[in-house]
Amino acid sequence: MPKKIVITNNIRRLRFFANEMTQQDLAERAGVSRQTIIAIEAGKYSPSLELAFRIADVFGVAIGDVFAHQQEGE
Amino acid sequence: MLFVLDIMYFLYYYKYIQDNKGSQSIMSYQERRTIVSLLTGVAVIVAYSIYAFGRYQAGLVAAGDLKFWAGTMLIFVGIGILASIIIQIIFHILTSIGMAVTTKIRDQQASDKEIEASIERSIGSEMVEDEMDRLIELKANRVGFAAAGIGFIAGLVALLLGYSAVIMLNILFLSFSGGSLLEGIVQLYFYRRGVAHA
Repeated sequence: MPKKIVITNNIRRLRFFANEMTQQDLAERAGVSRQTIIAIEAGKYSPSLELAFRIADVFGVAIGDVFAHQQEGE
Repeated sequence: MLFVLDIMYFLYYYKYIQDNKGSQSIMSYQERRTIVSLLTGVAVIVAYSIYAFGRYQAGLVAAGDLKFWAGTMLIFVGIGILASIIIQIIFHILTSIGMAVTTKIRDQQASDKEIEASIERSIGSEMVEDEMDRLIELKANRVGFAAAGIGFIAGLVALLLGYSAVIMLNILFLSFSGGSLLEGIVQLYFYRRGVAHA
């Protein structure tokens, strides 16, 4: 059975480097609620591929710069 | 009664904002909306129980009078739907007022136009239903449906054990209502603890 994948993200850091962009700003630009951005940032929700690309587009970076993955136990 | 519950919740929320001025950790719009739906559901079940079982205990309903129970349940289903629509409208209005008050508390100098713009922004980023809301709704629906299904089985078992059809009807009605309450509780759980796709 394949190991579980843990997805981490750099959204907090990217927001900081985007002139301390607020969660509300990011939510508006990505077309989701602030609650969803809070959940993604805290690692409580893994977004769909579509939303992940939209978030990456907001920061103007590649999707791999926003999200990273590792196998559980690594 | 439902309106009073809503007003009480609004007062609580207003006090919460005042106690947490400048804090970012206030409950989200989705959580508040779910709590309001839950309160509405609880109020409808309580009202049904008081009315229907009250009349039954007072001896105003003949034993096995299925027409009374079916009619009462239909009326309370209607009341439940109407109440949730009305309460959601009131909740939206109160939320907008709450947002205006919050903006004013945070920035005493804010003009009416700034407050209006702030409300519009909040509506855009708070009240939008997105993929996470839909996932949570789907998962919660599954739990609610399971509860209603268990109620249906319990109703059939009650019939088999020799209980009357009135008992079965009540088990069905209360399990469907309970299932919808459970749905709300599960939604709150997922909003608090997070939700995974798998």
